[in-house]
Amino acid sequence: MLAYVIRRMAYGVIVVLGVLFFLFLLFFTVTSPDDVARKALGERVPEAVVEQWKVNHGYDKPLFPEPGAWTDNMLVEHYRRMLTFDFGRSDADDTPIADRLRAGVGPSLALTVPLFTFSLLASIPLALLVALFRDTYIDRMGVVLCVLAMSVSILLYIIGAQYLIGRLLHWFPISGFDADPRVVVRFLALPLLVGLVAGIGGDVRFYRTVFIEESNTDFVRTARAKGCGEARIMGRHVLRNSLIPILTQVVLAIPFLFTGSLLLESFFGIPGLGAITVDAINGNDFSVLRTMVYIGSLLFVGGQILTDLSYGLVDPRVRLE
Amino acid sequence: MTGGAGVSGTLRGARRPGPAWVVMLVCTLLACTNNPYPDADADKKILYTSFREAPRTLDPAVAYTTSAHAITGAVYETLLEYHYLKRPYTLIPGLAAGLPDTRSDAEGVTVYRFELRPGVLYQEDPSFGLGGAGRTTREVSTADIEFQLMRLADPAVNSPVVEPLSNVLGFRDFGERLRVRREAEPEFATLPAHEQYADVGPIEGVVVDAPLGLAVYVASDYPQILYWFAMPFTTPMPWEAVQYYDGEDGRPRLADHPVGAGPYVLAEYDKQARYVLDVNPNWYGVRHPEWKAPAATYPSEGEPEDLAAGRLDPAYVGRPLPFIERLEARREKEAIPYFNKFLQGYYDAAGVIRESFDKVIHEGGLSDEMARRGISLEKSVEPTVFYIGFNMDDEVIGTVAQEPGRKLRQAMSLVVDTEEYNRLFSNGRGVPAQSPLPPGIFGYDPDYVNPYRLVDLERARGLMKAAGYADGIDPETGKPLTLTFDTPDTSAQGRLRFEFFTHAWRQLGIDVEVAATNYNKFQEKVRNGAYQIFMWGWVADYPDPENFLFLLWSDMARSASGGPNTANFKHPRYDELYLEMKSKPNGEERMVLIREMTDILQRERPWIELNHAEDYALFHDWLSNVKPFGMSFPTVKYRDLDAGARTRQREAWNEPVLWPLYALIIIFVAVTVPGVVTFIRERQ
Repeated sequence: MLAYVIRRMAYGVIVVLGVLFFLFLLFFTVTSPDDVARKALGERVPEAVVEQWKVNHGYDKPLFPEPGAWTDNMLVEHYRRMLTFDFGRSDADDTPIADRLRAGVGPSLALTVPLFTFSLLASIPLALLVALFRDTYIDRMGVVLCVLAMSVSILLYIIGAQYLIGRLLHWFPISGFDADPRVVVRFLALPLLVGLVAGIGGDVRFYRTVFIEESNTDFVRTARAKGCGEARIMGRHVLRNSLIPILTQVVLAIPFLFTGSLLLESFFGIPGLGAITVDAINGNDFSVLRTMVYIGSLLFVGGQILTDLSYGLVDPRVRLE
Repeated sequence: MTGGAGVSGTLRGARRPGPAWVVMLVCTLLACTNNPYPDADADKKILYTSFREAPRTLDPAVAYTTSAHAITGAVYETLLEYHYLKRPYTLIPGLAAGLPDTRSDAEGVTVYRFELRPGVLYQEDPSFGLGGAGRTTREVSTADIEFQLMRLADPAVNSPVVEPLSNVLGFRDFGERLRVRREAEPEFATLPAHEQYADVGPIEGVVVDAPLGLAVYVASDYPQILYWFAMPFTTPMPWEAVQYYDGEDGRPRLADHPVGAGPYVLAEYDKQARYVLDVNPNWYGVRHPEWKAPAATYPSEGEPEDLAAGRLDPAYVGRPLPFIERLEARREKEAIPYFNKFLQGYYDAAGVIRESFDKVIHEGGLSDEMARRGISLEKSVEPTVFYIGFNMDDEVIGTVAQEPGRKLRQAMSLVVDTEEYNRLFSNGRGVPAQSPLPPGIFGYDPDYVNPYRLVDLERARGLMKAAGYADGIDPETGKPLTLTFDTPDTSAQGRLRFEFFTHAWRQLGIDVEVAATNYNKFQEKVRNGAYQIFMWGWVADYPDPENFLFLLWSDMARSASGGPNTANFKHPRYDELYLEMKSKPNGEERMVLIREMTDILQRERPWIELNHAEDYALFHDWLSNVKPFGMSFPTVKYRDLDAGARTRQREAWNEPVLWPLYALIIIFVAVTVPGVVTFIRERQ
């Protein structure tokens, strides 16, 4: 198992190094530092200010290693910074990126952890329910509702919920965030509800398929023949034997709880890492964007390894070698 | 039995929290409210506002955006300020005891001598501990202004206003000396800024002649320097704050932690989400209301419309400022939620968003629906000008083409309908521009109508014929005259705008091709002079005609000096008039010069003036003393609000509507229960 983990981590390192190289090509060769500087400083600043900004941000160096600058160039600097987690400062406002990440991770987790938990708590029982009532009108109606829920864009959910629930029904604030414990739940209620409704259709459909497939297996038929109750069959035999596909989805999602939700955070004004990423895209803040993509790739690779390891934990037949 | 147990287990499973249950649970927990603020704050005099862009920096030497000035303008105090109500904009003393004494010597140097108010304190801040153990504040001195001017000149600070302040004697030299010394002695560069400045300084033209006296020597004829002393760039800056807030050892950077002597202090700051300004108990207006200082007292004079709008209410006139104890700003990136929160009463004021324009504005005024809610509308013209420019160095359309070129420009100007342009692209907002000068700026003549800014297709066709381009045909090629419109705007909205212009010129037979590129390529074209027509705008730094008319001064020509005269307009008589006008005080003599300059621009047409941006501000009836300022200058200290009235309105407007929730639960139960019951019966 240890050899397997080491091998997977080694593959992960290669993938991350490759991602870093593509990041460099994308961010430093497609857009010039002058463009980034003008975007950050405004169009009216003199040329000398732009030049000084480039020096301050290290964008005045050669792009690739060359005679006289084998180590003092932007490619080497890019790798050094990313691999040592010294992300530097934002192109847009000079804030240390590490500070931005620290400030953003709290609001992101405040949204994503409850959303993840509620989604699981709602979708697995609902999927079990429709699987239990398969081929009845509850199952058919459930499937139709799930397909409907999946077919609607999350943007529509967001705008619709803000208008209906926030503006017309006055249940929750339309958007915003305040870490003040007296009001924080008010702000999270609507994005949570939207996230839950937008994601539940796909989740229930997926889990239902898994459960139905599992409930047609021989051991389930045997359990039923032995007189085991349906609820017991679904809750103990089917659910436990369906854990592999569920884990694939769930464990892979856990690392991304840290990066937040791009759309929910952005539209509901939650200052998490998802909103930071969207801001960075809109504001040409390439240093932040590079960091977020890099962290995303690290989490993805980490999530993959965790998922593989979790298979071994839930299914004794799986051997990680 | 087993089966029964199983069924009951399933029923329990079916009742696990679904979306409706979650809603109900959360609603119950929170008593279902859309109020984004803690209930305890309901009756406090807190002004709720919003911001869209996170401020890049709050260092007053660098901050140059509206979102940053909303904070720096309230936290940092300046020697001079603008009168809140008077138009045209008028300077009044701020930290200075009075307007500066001005004298010019024989060598053309003008001296402005400021006298600072005595006993003015900075806000409480731990950085002052650097000046003595236990110290949390100290008195503001003119040495702090000298220090800030040195920061502006410091190349490492990278201030965007080095250019205009270089009119101060020795300003650039100081920056250069600093740069050279740092390069020669790397150790020197590690010393605290104030020690470096003390070693390399002073700036020749900045003389602290007494602890509260400051003389500024301006080399050239630049009376507009005074406006820079009304901006946070030149605020007194304590050296302690610069040294202390260095971003090291957990301390924030000065860019995120302003330390000033203004009416408010930054109490909370999360630039991505929210900031809070609290009244500064050390502000001179709070500590010394008996001074009746002009910038710390509600004004007694204004414009006639101020009287009508209740802005000269005797209940406020002469009262010490500020009235609002706290300002809380939240970031709103999306326009619709922001505007909805204003309609719910959770923001006290708002702009009019494009998406709701028709609902809010009706025939140029407030719609009945908005008026019924007690909302008021204030329109103001911003000190801006947007225009289409011609490259006067171009062989076809520029000065080189002589009379045909001039007639061509005149003809093109005559077919651009600004009213229609405003209607299509800015909901009718914007004042059609007749000259570079917007309303509110001295020199603007409301009766002046530029004959080349009227729409007259026949006259334009006549001019085309006289220029040698009858029906738009270029006699050299026998084909329609082809011109290029260069722009860095590649957006879909931009494309529509440019199509509006090309369509107008097509009526004259001219084929104008739009070349949309990225900003850098566009700049490269401008640098190389490879452009014919462009569209540009200018937002004034200060309210003086010089700040608009210099855009066409030949010394500022892009081709010659890289300046903002992108039209490369060079006209000796215009230059002569400009230099004379620049140093004249506002008055009839200056007006005559401006009129002649305007006449030259009218005839030569280096620009097709489009519009001056217009701002529509909405505010609730519990907010008083609102007057849009146009320029980036915080006016919160003049405003007041009735928190009780606001709370009552909010409660009336935001009563939760719960019946849909109950209906949803009933539907859920009604749909599920029969199925479950049937299922149980079948299994039994």
